[in-house]
Amino acid sequence: MSHTPSGLSRRQFLKGLSVAGAASLLPLRLLMPYTAQASTAFSAKDFQTFRNACPRNCYDTCSIKTYVKDGVVQFIEGAQESTFTAGGLCVKGYAYPRRVYSPDRIKYPMVQDGRRTGNWRRVSWDEAMDRIAKKILEIKEKDGSLLGMGLTKYSGNFGITNYGVEGMMSSLGYTTRFVGTPCWPAGIDAQNYDLGDMWCNDPEDMVKARYVIIWGANPAWCSVHSMKYVMEAKRRGAKVVVIDPVFTQTAAKADVFWQPETSSDGALALGMARHILDKGLVDLDFVNNAALGYEEFAAYLRENVTVEWASKVSGIPADQIREVAEEFATADPATIWIGYGMQRHTNGGASVRAIDALVAMTGNVGKEGGGARYGHLRTWGFNYHALIQKQPEGSVGFVGGGGPKGEFDFSKGEAASYTDRTFNINKTAQGILDAKDPVLRMLWVSCKNPFAQDFDRPKLEKAFDSLEMVVTVDQFFNETVANSDIVLPVTTLFEEWTVNVSYWHYWLGINEQAITPMYETKSNIEIASLLSKKMNALAPGSCTFPQDIDTKDWLEKEFNQGIYDYFGIKHWTDLKNGPVKAKLASTASWHDRKFATPSGKYEFRSDICQKNGHEALPKYKEGRKPYDEFRLLTPHTKFGLHSQFINLDWMHEYNKEPYLYMHPDDASEKGIADLDMVRVFNKVGEQRVKVKLTRNVARKSLLIYEAWFGRGNSFNVQNLVDDESADMGAYKTGAPGVAIHDQFANVERV
Amino acid sequence: MKKHYAFLVDSEKCIGCFTCAMACRNYYHQVEGVVWRHVYPLGEAIYPHRERAFFSLACNHCENPACLNVCPVEAYTKREEDGVVVHHQEKCIGCGNCIRSCPYGAPVYNPVEKRAEKCSLCHERLDAGLLPACVQSCPTGALKLVDLATLEPGNHIQFPAGFPKNEKVNPSTRFIMPKVPTLVRR
Repeated sequence: MSHTPSGLSRRQFLKGLSVAGAASLLPLRLLMPYTAQASTAFSAKDFQTFRNACPRNCYDTCSIKTYVKDGVVQFIEGAQESTFTAGGLCVKGYAYPRRVYSPDRIKYPMVQDGRRTGNWRRVSWDEAMDRIAKKILEIKEKDGSLLGMGLTKYSGNFGITNYGVEGMMSSLGYTTRFVGTPCWPAGIDAQNYDLGDMWCNDPEDMVKARYVIIWGANPAWCSVHSMKYVMEAKRRGAKVVVIDPVFTQTAAKADVFWQPETSSDGALALGMARHILDKGLVDLDFVNNAALGYEEFAAYLRENVTVEWASKVSGIPADQIREVAEEFATADPATIWIGYGMQRHTNGGASVRAIDALVAMTGNVGKEGGGARYGHLRTWGFNYHALIQKQPEGSVGFVGGGGPKGEFDFSKGEAASYTDRTFNINKTAQGILDAKDPVLRMLWVSCKNPFAQDFDRPKLEKAFDSLEMVVTVDQFFNETVANSDIVLPVTTLFEEWTVNVSYWHYWLGINEQAITPMYETKSNIEIASLLSKKMNALAPGSCTFPQDIDTKDWLEKEFNQGIYDYFGIKHWTDLKNGPVKAKLASTASWHDRKFATPSGKYEFRSDICQKNGHEALPKYKEGRKPYDEFRLLTPHTKFGLHSQFINLDWMHEYNKEPYLYMHPDDASEKGIADLDMVRVFNKVGEQRVKVKLTRNVARKSLLIYEAWFGRGNSFNVQNLVDDESADMGAYKTGAPGVAIHDQFANVERV
Repeated sequence: MKKHYAFLVDSEKCIGCFTCAMACRNYYHQVEGVVWRHVYPLGEAIYPHRERAFFSLACNHCENPACLNVCPVEAYTKREEDGVVVHHQEKCIGCGNCIRSCPYGAPVYNPVEKRAEKCSLCHERLDAGLLPACVQSCPTGALKLVDLATLEPGNHIQFPAGFPKNEKVNPSTRFIMPKVPTLVRR
């Protein structure tokens, strides 16, 4: 079979698409099916190849090799040079070629006459920018500042140059920013209190572990490339224990699966710690020489914690807790992968601190193959040239604020009399509704789909309705776009230059522009420069963003000697030969036991933590009280990343519709049978969905995977999730996290 | 025995991630509704947890292929050098005999072409010294390319529960069955 596209006479180009006539809108000869006929061997010489880097918010951040012919991405594969990506991507990554050429893609700037009407009409970039710029100037005129203009952006595109969106806002003046993260903030704070920073071992060293506990993470779906390390550790004799309220795919690959009461993780960890203490299995060298406050922690355990208590809270039998605790403490090295799921609770930060303590007291912090693995930002030392832009002279802003903050805010906030106004990203709806003096008039949305991911969707719709203008930068007509006035089409990874790193592994990959941007799409920084041109034409000096930019130049501006030295390269162009890994002194984080805490030690007792309103010690904190009959869990699906990928027709081949998963005993009590249509409802709203019965979920639990199916399917789990805060997150990310898994609901057959 | 390529489906390592299925689509861009590689969840009678163990299945490149035997126009050939069963779509008249005869549902009807098609085992990649797209993509090594002539005896089997036992066609795919962890539930 040849990789030469067959002629149009044989294969009707892109026929069978759901949108009638869509094929005629596409340039010819894009993504044609290949003939299934025998011919000559594959030859890479027939293609131009490019380096790309998946910019999604994912542990794996894969290095991609892209095969282009006739200016069209023909197929992609994982870079062979990266031992992490190892030649393969994932189900989402391999759908990229369809994403670029999808008939559903937003092709031009468009204006909607009436939100949610679907009355979209094409406008020129000039008209779109004219409308936006005039609105910005109107706000400035009316309010005397630009605080009435807000930005909500998070991790939809992690390419470093995309921080130019924040840069664009700064270049206009002081604005309102939604700060924080819905993802991992409680755990970030916890690790900062305990260790002084969030810094995990190289995931590739998990093969050296003799004992692996995966706690509230599901890498079999959310970090497929990490599973080979877990499996290799197991093959070498390590025991793998998975702790999760759901019998996940990762759990199915474990030796032992614990299904505790949701959000009882802190009690479980402390119960294990108490048993290790009683058995004299504590690493005295570590706790005496590298730690602060261990004796106080031990006293807390003796006075307040028993294995029986931990068993009662978690539901895990006491003898099991003892067994696993002893095995963990005596294996050398032993490691715990702390998942982001387990900290999305009102006690999530406290639970992470308890697990950190368990790893530390057994001397597993700072060890290759050990560690309390959560994440890291060690490879993120770019210049943030796109991010850091100056406000126009004379800009008026918010007085008395600290300015925006976040785990990815690298602007090192200089002291200024004026700052941006900040709202909690996890309470977007409430922030918009509460904004006063001035009210929020306009919202810019990029790299984010608030209607799919922000909480309390009914409230969010009300909040958006109060805005005078919403501009969304996106690739597909999702629900956020439906609630916008103007949509601007943005490039995919194949259509812009940028660079990406992971918050998990230690590889660096360049993202080359592989094809000419499709239709009228532009990158985020090109959009910013276009807006700047228009702003300055209408009101000279009103925007400082450079008006003529080249995305390749801007990529280059992100590099510095520090990055080159860390990765052992001479120049960024070296990355065209493939991704490179950081030159690590050790695969272990904290290998020299010099912690970044105030004491320089591991802090079982953290005074900063206490100062910030929490316990100084990693004490047990009770979870959120149930307010409905069932616990509701809305974690990630394997077919998408939040609202991305699931809508593609390619993905639809394997994942056609959403389901609720519930325990058969609960179902029979409710008169619900397998594949019935049910209504899940609570104080936030309701969602109708088909049910699958399975003991993978515990009794009194409802499990629905977060997704945006598109194609006319209005399914959205955020109709059921409120915006309750997690305990921690404000210290390092500017706002507390959100208790996504502390939700409750009821269910009935319809 | 002569060289005979086959898929080794290691369900113990398989995480049901569908990467192989999409890697195939990424490479061949099959038209909507046409799927060469499926990832099937095992029924609860075979693996006790719903949608937690899988067989990744495409064409089995049988020793005695039903598709080849029933094709009236010799659109199928079996490669001498490695046993790959090749469908030559340009010869296919779309009669559907192969689709009806294959006990494993490998050939499927392409409504655009109005002809059959199926997994080619990426023989054009094999000829270039590369792995099939699906095998290369698997993040856990659960889908492997093996040569039945040199495959060491082991815990792999030919007819696992849930896989139709058709000895006449002698499918080449081999399977390793999944394990169940110890479950400790509240």
